[in-house]
Parts: sequence; C-alpha cells; structure tokens
Amino acid sequence: MIKLQDIRDTARDMLAKGEARAVIGYRRGSRGMLAEPAFLTRPEEADELVWDPTCFHNLSLYLVHDRKHLAHARKTAGAPVAVIAKGCDARSIVVLLQEHYFQREDVYIIGVSCEGTGVVDERKLAGHLNGAQAISAAFDGDDFVFTTAEGEKRLPAREVMADRCLECCSPFPKEHNLAFGEDKTGRQLEAPFAALDRFEAQGAGERWDNWARHFDRCIRCFACRSVCPMCYCDECVVDSITFPVTTATTAEEKASRIRWIERSAARSENITYLMTRAMHLAGRCTDCGECDRACPVNVPIRLLNNKMEKEAREQFGFEPGASIGGPSLVASFLDNDPGNFIR
Amino acid sequence: MSKKRTGVFVCHCGTNIAATVDVAKVAREMAAENTVAFTQEYVYMCSEPGQESVVQAIKDNKLDSIVVTCCSPNLHEKTFRDNAQRAGINNFTCEIANIREQCSWVHADKAKGTEKAIKISRSVVRRVNRNQPMDAIAVSVTRRAMVIGGGIAGIQAALDIANAGIEVILVEKQATIGGRMLQLSETFPTLDCSQCVLSPKMVEVKRHPKVKLMTYSEVQEVSGSVGNFRVKVHKRSTFVDPDKCKICDHCTEVCPVVVPNEYELGLTARRAIYIPYAQAIPASFTLDEDACLGLNPIRCGKCKDVCEAGAIDYDMRPQTVTEDVGAIVVATGFDLYGPENMPELGGGRVEDVLDGLQFERLISASGATKGHILRPSDHKEPKEVVFIQCAGSRDPAKHCAYCSKICCMYTAKHARLYKKHVPDGRAYVFYIDIRSGGKGYEEFVQRTMEDDDTLYLRGRVSKLYRKDGKVRVHGTDTLTGQNVEIDADMVVLALAMTPSKGTAEIAKTLKIGRDKDGFLAEAHPKLRPVESVTGGIYLAGAAQAPKDIPETVAQAGAAASKVIALLSQATLSRSPLIAKVRPSHCTGCGMCVEACPFFAIRLENGKAIVNEALCEGCGSCSATCLRAAIDVKNVTQMQIHEMIEACLA
Repeated sequence: MIKLQDIRDTARDMLAKGEARAVIGYRRGSRGMLAEPAFLTRPEEADELVWDPTCFHNLSLYLVHDRKHLAHARKTAGAPVAVIAKGCDARSIVVLLQEHYFQREDVYIIGVSCEGTGVVDERKLAGHLNGAQAISAAFDGDDFVFTTAEGEKRLPAREVMADRCLECCSPFPKEHNLAFGEDKTGRQLEAPFAALDRFEAQGAGERWDNWARHFDRCIRCFACRSVCPMCYCDECVVDSITFPVTTATTAEEKASRIRWIERSAARSENITYLMTRAMHLAGRCTDCGECDRACPVNVPIRLLNNKMEKEAREQFGFEPGASIGGPSLVASFLDNDPGNFIR
Repeated sequence: MSKKRTGVFVCHCGTNIAATVDVAKVAREMAAENTVAFTQEYVYMCSEPGQESVVQAIKDNKLDSIVVTCCSPNLHEKTFRDNAQRAGINNFTCEIANIREQCSWVHADKAKGTEKAIKISRSVVRRVNRNQPMDAIAVSVTRRAMVIGGGIAGIQAALDIANAGIEVILVEKQATIGGRMLQLSETFPTLDCSQCVLSPKMVEVKRHPKVKLMTYSEVQEVSGSVGNFRVKVHKRSTFVDPDKCKICDHCTEVCPVVVPNEYELGLTARRAIYIPYAQAIPASFTLDEDACLGLNPIRCGKCKDVCEAGAIDYDMRPQTVTEDVGAIVVATGFDLYGPENMPELGGGRVEDVLDGLQFERLISASGATKGHILRPSDHKEPKEVVFIQCAGSRDPAKHCAYCSKICCMYTAKHARLYKKHVPDGRAYVFYIDIRSGGKGYEEFVQRTMEDDDTLYLRGRVSKLYRKDGKVRVHGTDTLTGQNVEIDADMVVLALAMTPSKGTAEIAKTLKIGRDKDGFLAEAHPKLRPVESVTGGIYLAGAAQAPKDIPETVAQAGAAASKVIALLSQATLSRSPLIAKVRPSHCTGCGMCVEACPFFAIRLENGKAIVNEALCEGCGSCSATCLRAAIDVKNVTQMQIHEMIEACLA
C-alpha cells in the first residue's frame, strides 16, 4: 500500500532542494470528494497532496502545457518538473518522449502504482449513491469505501471502477524515476478491450444506430481534445481557426489554410472530427480515459480509440508507450508485419 | 495572382477511352471550369499530330498549364511534359488525369464512366491550378558500377560494363565466382562443357583492369539513389592469403575436419580448409570458420604448420568496405525448391533420389565420380533411371504456380547424357507437357526421344519409396490411362527454380520489389524487363525469373547497356517533386524520419530536414505526419483537399 506521507515527503524534499521546478500532483477538490490537479512550487504546499481512487486526471497533460508556456515565453527549462503518474499516465509520458516533445531529463516521474485498485467512474458511482454526495473515497484492499452524509457505503471495486481500470494490464508505471506501490501486473478484473468487445458484439445496424445517436449529441466543445496529452498540436487539423501565424509563416502557408470540416456540430462533421482524432491517436493513445470522462454529453469516445489500439495489438502486437526507444505504430515498417488486411 | 489559363486535352485512345466515356462531354464540362481557357479532344493525343496540336494550342492560347486526360502518367506524363516545355511553359505545370486505367478500362456503364472521368479530370484541373513551376535538380554521377552476384549473369554484366571503360565491383557471396553454371556438366542444346565455356570468362573478369573482384563478400547496407549509391560490403575472412596460396593441397591432407561439400551439393565431403573447384577464382583455399576446430594453433593449427607458402593467417579479420557507385546490377541467381517440401516425392529423405543439380555433379567430369554415373547408395551403375519433370513447378495448390522453364530441356539433356554413359540403361521421363521453345531446343528433345530411346510418360508421379534396394515409383501414364510402377535404380527430380536464399534480404537492402513468387520484380513486364522499380538498380539472370543461360547472358548484357547509358551522362536530372517541411507546423516528433524508406529525413534543432539528394518524393512522410507539416511539392495538402472537393462536388 502507498503511504500518502511518502509522496508528500518526496515532493517537499524535491522542492526544498530545488531538484524540481514544480511538482504536479493531486489535491482535494472543491467539488465533493473528487481530487483535482495541484501545481506545487513551494515545499510547504506538499501537505496539500492527496492520493485516492478519485485521482483520475492524466497529469502528463500539464507537462505539455508547461512546454507550451516555456515556448511562448521563450524560456529554457532548467530544473525538471516532477509529476505523479499512474501506469497509463507514465505510458503517455513515454509516447511524448518518443515524439521528442520534451527530453527525459526535463521530467521527474514519481510513479504511483494503482495496485489492486484503479480510479472511480463518477457516473457509475452516481448510480449507486442515489443522489447522495460522497465526501471521501478509499480502497481497503477489496472494496471501495465511500463516506457520505448518511454514513459509509461499501461497494465492490468491479461495480464502480472505470472500465479502463477494470481492463488494465499494466497499472504499474514502468518508466519512472521513483515509484511507490507494488508492481501488480496482470491483475485486471476484465479482459482487455472487454467493453469494446461488448459493443462490437452488436450487429452492424445496431452499432451504427448507436454511433449516430452519439455523434448527433456531440457539441464539439473539444473537451476531449483539450484534456488529451497527445492532442498537443498547435493547429488541430480539423480546426483552421487556430492556425498559428508566426513570423515564420509564409504568405503561401496563410493561403493554404484548409478547412477539412465545417465548424457546425452536424453529424457528418462530428464524425469526421472524432474519426480523425481516433486515427491520429492510433498507436499513441495509452487509454487514460480522460476524453471519455471529460465529455459533457457522455459520448463513449474511449471505444473509438480502443478500437484502434485493439487492431494495433492484434495485427502488430503493438502497445503504445511500452518503451521510449520502441518504434511508432504508423511510421514503422517491419518485415513480419502482417499484410492480411490488404485484399 | 492573375487568373490561370489551363488547357485540357481529352484523349479518346481510339475506343479504349471513348467506348466507355463520353469524351466530348468531358471536354465540355472542363471548358466550364473558370480556370480553363482551352479544351480539345482528339483520337490519339500521343500521336505526332496530337502532340503537335498540344504544342500549338499552348502557344496560340497563351496557356500557362495543361491537363491531358488520357492513360496512366506512367506512360505519357513525360511525353506531354516535354511538349509543354517545347511550347515554352514549365514542364511541371503539365499533369495527367488518368481516365483509362482508372476509369474506362474498369467500368462498363458509359453514363457512370463519363461522370467519373469528369470528376477525375476536374480534380486534376484544380490540382494544376496550384502547381508551381519547377526546375529539375541536377546531380553529378559516380562513374562506377557494382554487380551483385558472380554467376554467369554477374560475370557477363561486369565484363560488358568494364569493357565500356567503367570501373565495376563484382561482389560474390561464395568463395569463388562461377555460380550455378560452374556446377553444370554439359549445356543444352549443343552439349558443350559448361565449365569450358564459363572459365575463360571467369579468368577474363579476374584479370580485367576495370573489375574489382570481391568474393566471400556480401552487400550489407545501401544508401543514396540513382547515380550516387553508397554500398557497404562485408568481406568475410578466408584466413588464406590468395596471393601467397600455391594451391599445393597440403593443408587439406592434414585437416581433421570433414563436412558435407556444398559445392558438390552434399554428394561428397570436404575439409574445413578447401578449394571449391579446380577452376575456382580466386584460385585460393578458404578456411571455413564455422567448421574449423577453432582457428587456434593450440587446438589444431595443422594446416598452418604444413603451409610452406605461409599463406594461412588465423588472425585475418573480416572487413567492411564502403564503395561509391552510380548503378547496381543484381544477379543473385536461383536455388532449387526444397525437396523437403514434397513428401510425395520422398521429402528429400529417400536414398538415390537426386535433384537436377546433384545429377549435374554426378555426370560432370570434375564431379565426385569423375563423370561416371554411380548411384550414391552403393556406387553401382543405375540401369533404370526415372526423371520427374515439374517437381514443385506448375502446382499452385501445393507448391510453385509458375513454370520453371528450363527443366524440360535439362531433363532431356540428362536423359541423353545418361544414355551416353550407360548405353544399356533405360531412362523414363514423367512430364506434364514438353516446353521446348528456343533455337534448336525442339530438335534436341526429339532426338532424346527417338535416337536415345527415352521413354516419355505423360503424367505425374503420385508417390515413391524405397523397396528392395530400389526406388519404387508410382505414376500414371495419362496417354494410355494406365497406372505405371517402375522399380528404378535412381530417380532425378527436376525441382522448381526459386529465387536464391537471401533474395528477400538483398531486395530489402536495395529497396527493390519482389513479385508474388519472390523473384526480383522488373519495373515493367514488357517495356522495362531489366530495370528494377528503383532507379539505377538493374536485374540480370534467374533472380528475376527462371531462365536458361542464353537468356541470362542476354539480360546481363541488356542490364550492362542500361548501366553504361546511365553512367555516360555527366549529370542526372532528378525530379524536383520532393518533400518540403513546413517548419512552423513541425513539432519534431520524428515519425517522418522513421517512415522515410530512403533515409532522406533527419531532425535538426527539433525540426525535420529533407535531404534533397535522397528524397524520392514518395509521400510516405506526408501521409504519416499528423500535423500536415510535410508536403510533397505539387502534391500539397491544399491540392489534395481541392482534388477531394472536386470529386465530391
């Protein structure tokens, strides 16, 4: 079991010694029991840190933000930023390192193993609490224990855990500078891609009806894109409005703004956006599930990305974020790549 | 930007296009495009009058760009770009819209075909609007060539190139050049001695001042492109100095190691230190590192002790040599289809069942039996021999689908030679049909059948096995409809020809394609049969397809003439349609670097940089980039976008 005090001590120590510019972790949020991202720069702030099953955010996103801030301010990095990373988050960092978004020495990974638990799915929990507000969440080794105004409520992990945690095979952050918790691999409660398999078990017509309903609901708020550490492009391919005009931008480039999709949230445009995003995440998505969680209208975005990852695993044995030196999915070509999809 | 003036030229291609596409309607629709200033249709745009009309129309109408809607750009892109240049406009403002291969030939419905042809044409008109005029890139040429493979194909190609005064590096994997031809006894249809006709060429290539011979060597890495390749060659160590070796044979007398002799196809054994043949070039012994007891005077060292010439050096190390060449000929030859794949023919485990090459060694004067036909099991003269043609060939269900082409002829030759050596013997040939196209070939087969009294049985062999000291062969004679059982003293399988082992690796190293059977792929089956799909790399011999010696020599000469033509130019013009990075969009993720098959992209200060000399404009980078930060010139994202839009409209 992870002792919260150890994490706090590490953060305090690193900030006091100047070994990190900042520590990115979790603290108690203002909204009920849920944790929120915390950005610590002073040692005395270390006691704000928390670690519980509501720490679902993928904090590697803020490493991307940090890079962008530095680039805009034309500053160089100096000391690294320390970040608390779960298994999936650490894999995201590995993908970012593979893509040279920053250097390994720019980040200090404080790995935290999810051990026997994962994170809570808010929507699943709400279904069990019947409107009650949970104040805190804990995991006692078997069950989640939620404290509400009416008292404690015990719920089996299987019933309130996020789908991705139920299916997770590698809850331990392999890439780390320092890691807390046990390396409990292969402890998934459900088979990988179980939720996707359930969805795919439907007939084609049914699947399409489902997706049509979801695509119609999308309001194109781009929360999924904003929350995704892999969506770090300055200009999103679907969104010519944010075309970055820098001193290096030529007239020819300005003239070649392409609007691949319309801005209106029509079904056809929403499909193009979400499909394009899924394609661009192929081989890069580490299944942190943040897009799914952030969606205000509950579009199961994770299934789209999962489909790509499932294909990648079945066809090429590919797992995103497995190692920094490893090949990328779409750019690498190996002799033993199967060609059975070419007909 | 002033308004574009594009001309559209619609070709009927006789009825090739006009039968399925309403060409007049295509021309009318194109005329309605607001950048199109001129349209014309013509029955054969590529004919001399057709071409002249294009040139005239460009001049008369002050066109600044043209679209020719016709066949594949593979065929006439160059023709019409040259015409554009002749008419005084930049050749890269000419584009081809393929409405034949991608439209008329694949559709039957004229209304729909016309609709598609209009869309294709319109998309190319939109594309050409944004084409930039460009100049070809001139690159200097390295006036040296490399030939990979030292069989008859490689030797011939090397000699022809060298005789034109161009330096050639001939790279051979084995310890001697000569390849498969050196293993043959006599050659059809003239029955001249294979080694006798080959060895003068081997000597010539060895002595030629313009040829650098590298045996026991393999190509490891190739970079660069047509005109300027850089090749890394790994030269294995022979542990014997060929200049000192006197070929006295004392070393083999003391060597305690015995291994199967691969040059005799396992019919005999050799020592760890050996010379492949008496005619080997270089004429020197080779120490087989894998078989030797340990290259260590403490463990053995007998060969070194007896070598009076002091030619043996256990400390000789392998070398990697880098060579710059302008062109490469690949002549890596063939192997036989493995008999282990054919359980119905004994799976390579039945005694006295030989393959064609083993039989060649058996009847060769330089072979293990000094030309006497003695079967391996008991060294007795076989009185009944069964030859089985198409062993592994022409069997798409289980083995190779193709015809190996030479087996009919060499089996007839085998039967004749057998009868010459064993006049009282009986030869049977199982065949599907006889393919004897070639000068003097049919007559040769007829003589085998008639003069030599060889029994040709039309049918396949269903199984064979060892019984009472003989090989029992079960077959069918489909002409009489009877099952045949023969108790043969020996069986010879005419196994299918396959690309030599390592063809897949060399194809990958050179970035040239292979066909469905694994042979090296030619750029065009009819019009470019000796060129690979990669510029500056040519093909010769059985590595490209099964062929006999005359064909191999002809192809080697053809490949050599291509090399000479290429290397006779002072500079080569390279297509300027290469990748271009948009630095403001590049995040330096490096996926393009990984995707580029030509190693033309590198990262510098966190941005991708394209090496213009290496880029082939294939577009893999552009397809991989998530940020549209890399485009191929004149095939930009914007152009692709507008083409899609034109098609969807």
